[in-house]
Amino acid sequence: MQFELDEDRSLLKQQTRELLERESPLEAARAVMEDAAEGYDKGLHASLAELGYLGLGLPEAEGGMGALALAAVLHEMGRVAFPGPYPDVLVAARALHDCGDESAQAFRDRVIAGEATCVLARRERLDDEPCEELETHFHDGRIEGTKQLVPFGAHVDAVLAEAREGLVLCERPAAGWEAAAQPTQDHAQRFAELRLSGPARPVAGAERASAILETVDLISALAAAAQLLGLCERALETTVAHTNEREAFGAPIGSFQALQHRCADMLLQTESTRSAVYRAAWAVDHEPELAPELVAVAKAWAGPAARSVCGEAIQLHGGVGFTWEYDPHVFFKRANTLDQLHGSTRSQLERVLRARGL
Amino acid sequence: MDLSFTPEQQAFRVELEAWLAGNLARPWNEEIRDPAHDSDSLVEVRRAWQRKLHEAGYLGMGWPAEWGGRGASVVEQAILEEALWRADAPQIPNFLGIDLLGPALIHHGSEAQRRRFIPKMLSADEIWCQGFSEPGAGSDLASLRTRAEPDGEHFRITGQKVWTTFGPWADWIFVLARTDAEDRYGGITFFLVPIDQPGVEVRPILQITGESEFGETFFDGALARREHVVGKVGEGWRIAMTVLGYERGVQTMAYPARFERYLADLVRGLRENGTLGRSDVRARLARLIVENQVMRSNGLRTLANLASGEAPGPESSIEKIFWSEYAKRQSETALDLLGPQAQLTIDARHARPDMDWAREFLWARAGTIYSGSSEIQRNIIAKRVLRMPTR
Repeated sequence: MQFELDEDRSLLKQQTRELLERESPLEAARAVMEDAAEGYDKGLHASLAELGYLGLGLPEAEGGMGALALAAVLHEMGRVAFPGPYPDVLVAARALHDCGDESAQAFRDRVIAGEATCVLARRERLDDEPCEELETHFHDGRIEGTKQLVPFGAHVDAVLAEAREGLVLCERPAAGWEAAAQPTQDHAQRFAELRLSGPARPVAGAERASAILETVDLISALAAAAQLLGLCERALETTVAHTNEREAFGAPIGSFQALQHRCADMLLQTESTRSAVYRAAWAVDHEPELAPELVAVAKAWAGPAARSVCGEAIQLHGGVGFTWEYDPHVFFKRANTLDQLHGSTRSQLERVLRARGL
Repeated sequence: MDLSFTPEQQAFRVELEAWLAGNLARPWNEEIRDPAHDSDSLVEVRRAWQRKLHEAGYLGMGWPAEWGGRGASVVEQAILEEALWRADAPQIPNFLGIDLLGPALIHHGSEAQRRRFIPKMLSADEIWCQGFSEPGAGSDLASLRTRAEPDGEHFRITGQKVWTTFGPWADWIFVLARTDAEDRYGGITFFLVPIDQPGVEVRPILQITGESEFGETFFDGALARREHVVGKVGEGWRIAMTVLGYERGVQTMAYPARFERYLADLVRGLRENGTLGRSDVRARLARLIVENQVMRSNGLRTLANLASGEAPGPESSIEKIFWSEYAKRQSETALDLLGPQAQLTIDARHARPDMDWAREFLWARAGTIYSGSSEIQRNIIAKRVLRMPTR
């Protein structure tokens, strides 16, 4: 038994950390999410594609490296609150691959090469209830429907839309693309309500689509949980460093037991998230029968844990924790975004029970 | 990364489970409901069970063969502990002897001590209890004041120990006592003391559960032979602290296995009550499952780190806080979800037949206090893991 990553994956993790430290350290990431209209660095997205990062979610025989590698990369991205659609595009590339359809394959190749961006467009409700029946439908070569909270919906080149009839590849602007920005509490995000009304290509029928979306749910939940781990880790480091430096009553505030105990609880949550995320990734690669439960466990744990750890980071920074200038709010906001999306905590809890036949 | 068990480890589990199926007459849950039993006869059930485990070679598995062990790895020991909880086997009465004193004697004791004490410890002919904590020295153990003064071939021990688990049934007690009042750590010595002598009195402590598994032990010039000092005079603190680390990781899979069995009982109860479909019930049940799975993931990680040769670190503090705080949440949630029936004690009319939630609910309050309270564990994490400044 061994918990540490093997050599290839730990090298990939290290390379990713160095790349991000060089190209997208937290200060740079923050500047991009605040200043760039698209909310991310398109040049860096192209570099990621060039380095093979967009194909990371493909099956191992097709150039992917498995769930452990995916978790390791997204863990690093969480550490710098990496902005942009990368995790969503990664998942869409896998979905396009699984369609098996020729035009989907061709589009997948463009996505992996960084020539086009594509995300899934699924959500129609803004509450947390499961959607009984989709409004979006495909008929006579045309898509009609409105999707909510499409990530970077005004900026991506295409969406893979879930319709009653299956998955439909819709390109901008041909599919009658009308995107209205949906700003949220997380200023790094560029969500949009996307109205589609125009010609599009069906790429998977309803039955195939549901199998594809099962994989999508698994990968995107794992990817979110791994980013949540990175956020926890960074928020804790930042907080401990702050409590070492900041002095009050003649001593560093980190010497006060009240704060030490809260940091200890942050560590407990962070380390437990690490155990949960990597065990889930291990299961996807090596114990597929346990994967649905363990991935749901990891996501259901990581969301609330990260919300708590990043919220504590604000509190333990004191007044400056509430300023835009300091970093904790960036972690806190992202934690909340990831907690509610990619299968909310509530929906993951239900998945855990279903995985056990309850 | 590799979280799988080797074929040998899996074969060990299969063999063990088959042995358990053939040798465990009835689960502990049924024993305690047998009206013919009282607390003394339940101890005898546990003693008999310990003998069976010993005869089958399942006790002290990590010890050298000379002392009844098989040099088993921490992974095999963890598999054993997990399987015992899954099967709802009785807890052995000599767990303190085997978990703490056995390794102390093997690593720090004399050959004569090993020959004299280990066989009877394993066979449960002699039950051991632990004399570390005192009324004035709990979390701050090194402030202990029980003193030992040389007297010819003996030391005379005077003072009071408390929370001596299994004290009321024990034959021997291993005691930390002060041989030098000036030296906080180096003035502590590790003694083996027979309980059946004029200078020792054990009084049961009535616990909030109504049971008396703990006792307090009074020493009034009690005799300990010089040859029953473990290690040298003044080495007691160091021995006690290293011994606490030897068994690290062995219990790491046991807690989630135990809580998983409790969860199965909870699910059965919810099914019977017809409330498993309620969304508030589902969310709280699922949360308990999630937390227990995360606990198991932490355990697998600890085990994997130990198995790949990494020294055990302060992550044991994380595990201690996790399981003990979880035990409170689990039993409180079970009482909420099952309703007042779960408050009934096992002898009550209409008590649930599978799980003694009433007792578990109360016992859970002890877990966050003993073996280093949650607060002490947080101190350890802050200082040794996060390296936060001291004042």
